Amino acid sequence: MIEVEHLTKDYGTVVAVRDVSFQVGRGEVVGFLGPNGAGKSTTLRILAGFLGATAGRVRIDEHDIVNESLEARRCIGYMPEASPLYPEMRVREYLRFRAAAKKVSRRDRGSAVDRAMEQAAVSDMAGTLIGHLSKGYRQRVGLADALVSNPPLLILDEPTAGLDPNQIREVRNLVRVLGESHTLLVSTHILSEVESTCDRAIVIDRGRLVAEGTLEELRARRAASGAVFLLRDPEKRARSLLGTSEGVKKASSGAADDDLVRVRVRYEKSVEDPGALLEQLVAELVAAGIGVREAAPARATLEEVFASLTHAEADESGDDDEEPGS
Amino acid sequence: MSGFSAVYKREMLSLWVTPLAWVLLVVFLLLQGYSFYSIVLHFSHVSQVNLDTGPVQAYFGQSIFLPLLLLMLCPALTMRVFAEERRSGTIESLLTAPVTPTAVVLAKYLATFTTYLVIWAPTLLYVVILRKTGHVDWNVVGSSYVGVIGIGAGYLAVGTLMSAMTRSQVLALLFTILALVGLFIIGIGEYIFDPGLMRDICVHVSAFSQLDEMSKGIVDLRRLVFDASLVALPLFVTTRVVDSWRWG
Repeated sequence: MIEVEHLTKDYGTVVAVRDVSFQVGRGEVVGFLGPNGAGKSTTLRILAGFLGATAGRVRIDEHDIVNESLEARRCIGYMPEASPLYPEMRVREYLRFRAAAKKVSRRDRGSAVDRAMEQAAVSDMAGTLIGHLSKGYRQRVGLADALVSNPPLLILDEPTAGLDPNQIREVRNLVRVLGESHTLLVSTHILSEVESTCDRAIVIDRGRLVAEGTLEELRARRAASGAVFLLRDPEKRARSLLGTSEGVKKASSGAADDDLVRVRVRYEKSVEDPGALLEQLVAELVAAGIGVREAAPARATLEEVFASLTHAEADESGDDDEEPGS
Repeated sequence: MSGFSAVYKREMLSLWVTPLAWVLLVVFLLLQGYSFYSIVLHFSHVSQVNLDTGPVQAYFGQSIFLPLLLLMLCPALTMRVFAEERRSGTIESLLTAPVTPTAVVLAKYLATFTTYLVIWAPTLLYVVILRKTGHVDWNVVGSSYVGVIGIGAGYLAVGTLMSAMTRSQVLALLFTILALVGLFIIGIGEYIFDPGLMRDICVHVSAFSQLDEMSKGIVDLRRLVFDASLVALPLFVTTRVVDSWRWG
């Protein structure tokens, strides 16, 4: 549905997107991840036909976004960041205008607008001035706008930006439902959004594509970077023992039941065989007379994956979210 | 011209559901009404009226008042057409729909031009009032309206271009006024230069001269060509400017 080849966008002194290539298949729901300023919006604007690329090629449903721009744009329902709308128009009026601009035939326009309003749950606001709507409703109107021509592809740029937690949940549910019937590319820097709505993610940082794959594949890149132990350690020796072991960067402990203690270790980056290191640590613990109830590779949170991919400082407190891998 | 009709209707709606067009209409009609009243009052005291100096001629020509009014009216009508879309970000939604830059520019321009005509339409009542009390030369009326429509069309095109050059409505207004004042000043050259090429150029650029001439029933094709050029060139450049945003 989307083919991006060696996409580059240069704003003169700033290169916003550097040689990015990826594909999104029909029916996929893909999260487009990256920190603020990573080049997400620029990439999506190029995909939507609003910006031209400095180099590279974008094809939407086999149509080149530059040479067959109108055909390509007909396939896309695009919701820009912050969902800019005309405040002086009423919701139905606005969607009728958008339907007309998107070449929905006059005969089908009414039903297309009704369907889009129903899908985006804004039917109760059909006659309200957009300027009087809450931010959550404006986002929904933006979604209805993207849906009004019933395009096969939806590109949503930060659909939950600036919303309160309830509104975020509502919009997220909406996106999840839309993902069942559309190809969806959703940009965000909120990782829980990707976890709850997407089955694949593309990670971009400083204009470069740094990773892509299913969420499990991305987690697997960090899965072997540490381990979690559940130990019988009444003398509280495990943490210092593990902390000084070769290949371990850091060990931290937390209380468990009775005399059990949960110890989390993070490996040095230089560790090449995490499996062998885990085996060696278990052997050391057993040799020291510490009972090993559980030992498992740490299952990285998406936040950790994101932090490691985008070179941000990993939040040490994120360790608390780690659970033994299953 | 993909998207022309939808954008045109939205622009018309946007102009008339917000106070802008109504405020301009009221202010314009108040000023024009006062001008017409003064002219009629003046002519009611004149016993002998020449063919070239009747109330219609005085209303459309022979005065700097009307060209100056157009210098304010046209920029106010066009200042928001692109500047506001860019400031609010709605231009992104607009240009990612399957519409062409040419259609967007023409639709926005023609919406302001239609509004300009609507604002002028009530002044036809002045002619009806004059007709009830005396003879009206319909050729003079027709050519006078061709004059104000031609000048307005050009000014609105310049305003549309200026609105595309900035995200600020106020700057768009100022840029347009500056550009039109520039044209107006060139027109004043008619009274500065000796007869020759420079003076001819100034005469043909002068809105005052055009209105004065057309208010006497003289329709010079060269003036209409100039007006058409003043529409076509800015609109062409505006289309290129809108297209260039993709590559910005």
